[in-house]
Amino acid sequence: MKLRLKILSGFMILVATLFVAGVWSMYQLTTIGASVQGILDDNYRSINASKKMIEALEREDSAVLLLLSGEWKEGREILKSAHKAFQQGYETVRGNITIAGEEEQVSRIEAAYNTYKDLWERPIVATDRESNLAWYFQEIHPAFQEVKLTVETLMAMNDKTMYQTATSLKDRAHRAAMPGIVAIVAALVFTLVFNYFVNYYVVNPILRLTEGIQKHVQTGEPLDVVIETQDELLDLKSAIQNLLTKRHKEEAQ
Amino acid sequence: MRLHVVFRYSGIVLILNAGFLLVSSAVSALEADTALFPLLYSAVVCALFGVFPLFFVPPTSDISGKEGLVIVVASWLLSCLVGLLPYVLWGGEFTFTKAWFESVSGFTTTGSTILSDIEALPLGLLFWRSTTHWIGGIGIIVFTLAVLPSSGRAGMILYRMEMSSVAVESFNYRTRKVLKILLFVYVGLTLLQTLSLLICGMGLFDAVTTAFATVATGGFSPRNLSVAHYGSLSIEVVIMVFMVLSGLHFGLLFAAVAERSGDLLRSPVARYYLLALMAGTLLITINVHGSVYATWSESLRRASFQVLSLGTSTGFATADSSVWPGFAQLLMIFFTLQCACAGSTSGGIKADRLVIFWKSVKRYLKKIQHPKAVVPVRMGGEVVGENLLEASLVYLSLYLGVVFVSSMILAFMDVDALTAFSGSAAAMGNVGPGFGKVGSMANFASLPDAGLWTLSVVMLLGRLEIFGLVLFVFMGRWK
Repeated sequence: MKLRLKILSGFMILVATLFVAGVWSMYQLTTIGASVQGILDDNYRSINASKKMIEALEREDSAVLLLLSGEWKEGREILKSAHKAFQQGYETVRGNITIAGEEEQVSRIEAAYNTYKDLWERPIVATDRESNLAWYFQEIHPAFQEVKLTVETLMAMNDKTMYQTATSLKDRAHRAAMPGIVAIVAALVFTLVFNYFVNYYVVNPILRLTEGIQKHVQTGEPLDVVIETQDELLDLKSAIQNLLTKRHKEEAQ
Repeated sequence: MRLHVVFRYSGIVLILNAGFLLVSSAVSALEADTALFPLLYSAVVCALFGVFPLFFVPPTSDISGKEGLVIVVASWLLSCLVGLLPYVLWGGEFTFTKAWFESVSGFTTTGSTILSDIEALPLGLLFWRSTTHWIGGIGIIVFTLAVLPSSGRAGMILYRMEMSSVAVESFNYRTRKVLKILLFVYVGLTLLQTLSLLICGMGLFDAVTTAFATVATGGFSPRNLSVAHYGSLSIEVVIMVFMVLSGLHFGLLFAAVAERSGDLLRSPVARYYLLALMAGTLLITINVHGSVYATWSESLRRASFQVLSLGTSTGFATADSSVWPGFAQLLMIFFTLQCACAGSTSGGIKADRLVIFWKSVKRYLKKIQHPKAVVPVRMGGEVVGENLLEASLVYLSLYLGVVFVSSMILAFMDVDALTAFSGSAAAMGNVGPGFGKVGSMANFASLPDAGLWTLSVVMLLGRLEIFGLVLFVFMGRWK
């Protein structure tokens, strides 16, 4: 292999190591960005909606207690607004199904909420249910707890997935950084090896040739320099030897 | 010493590693797992570093003994270094120290792991992990020389520098033929075991990786519960058979198969090795029966597997032997120290040296009785040379010394005595599991980082049979 190609290959290897590491780090960083967006889109929105649904459910429970104590107008107003808030949250989670098993959980919420709603939609004030705490504790409260539990389960599902995604992000960040570190260390080591080869196979032969020529000029001894490689330096040595031979012939003539 | 020659030969070893990294990348690509880039990038870096010296350094087959030693040690260290790249690039449980430990454990065929959840690793990375065993099994240099077309005198020097001194003496062929025999037996055993495991119902990936780990007497399993995961008697029997075969002298195995020679059964070392394994199995079966296992069949099944696994320096497990009675544990520590025959892929003191040791003791007693008598030590009818005798006894003493010093270092780091001693013995013998916190169903993750570095050095000392690494460290004094 010619000297020019050898030196070029050294630089190409350095460039290749750093280039691949750079491209991979960029790719990983881009996917990290996409994953962060994914967490916000997929899980955080559902968690937020679930919180709103739980808050709405608690307001509905308070409204039922108001109806039981005979506060019809205030109770019904709260129920109406809380129901609307719950529906908004429900629509959000129904339109944001991203995890395995989430769809079934949303259906469970719907079923449990319908059962709960059937109970408080019926007239309470001025019926035998008014001030009937036994009815509240036997029917309303268990139904309320059931809906709340299903919403909490949905929130826990999204919470868990968000945690898992965040953990995988940590791994991805590691994967984005490591090739760079490896490339830097590899490049440093490679530079030392490259420098050694350039010294041994390029600089030293040139020094030996220079020394040989100087010796020849001073003492007239024949040029005796060993060049181990089959490259431009060997050609240079041959050219110098030819020149010296020609000069000797001319001097002899 | 010509450093460029060292670069050239180490480069060839790196190219071999790059080839196997590429194969692992292909596995990763087929599975579309997350290890593809770490493996591919490691392969590229490894190949570039390996190819570059070939551009500059012209071929030479004339190397000195000193250069040969540096090439061997440098090749091992470089292989372990590039072996850790896929681990650190992938992440997970791997820190730099843990990746280095896993890599050294793989190449030295120790099989100790720091992983608490092996099955969480992508298949490409698991394949690379087993491949490190397979490359290191018959020796990185021997493997490289065996697959290279010809390396002349350099090949002979490198082969002698890497192989166990006892094994070098025991092969009666020229270097080139020894290399061919080693490769033939090694690849043959691997193919046969893979096929046998497939017939027993194991999946292809598990069969190949388990065969790599068995024939190299390594012990890395792709499963968290090691061989216990499969719960299959036929699989255990196949692995046991191949563990024993891999612990025998490959030259004798080759002669028994290719030349139909009876040397294998006539060899005093092979006979001692097989008898010791049988006696150990019998004693431990009796010891664990009733105290750990209710039936004789269960006791025999578990005891035989564990004894063969440690006695061949493999390190697979089908039971948690760290809960076995003290007698069984001590006997297994003996097998951890002894291991199998020279000329195999096994580590440890080796049965050959123990046979030589006992014969030397016998000779010494005879010489006390008859001070002027000339009593040669004979093995298989041939007189053992005084040099080999001395080397074996010095090695034995040094070996135990290293285990003791390593145990002391670990104990200084607040590691309990049983864990420190058995862990050190397992690392030195390239066995894998020890007892206590590093038992057959546990891992080495609980050890401090400094402890992992200590054991990494001990693993390399064991694999290079102490002298190689020691001479390398004191290279300056070698005139």
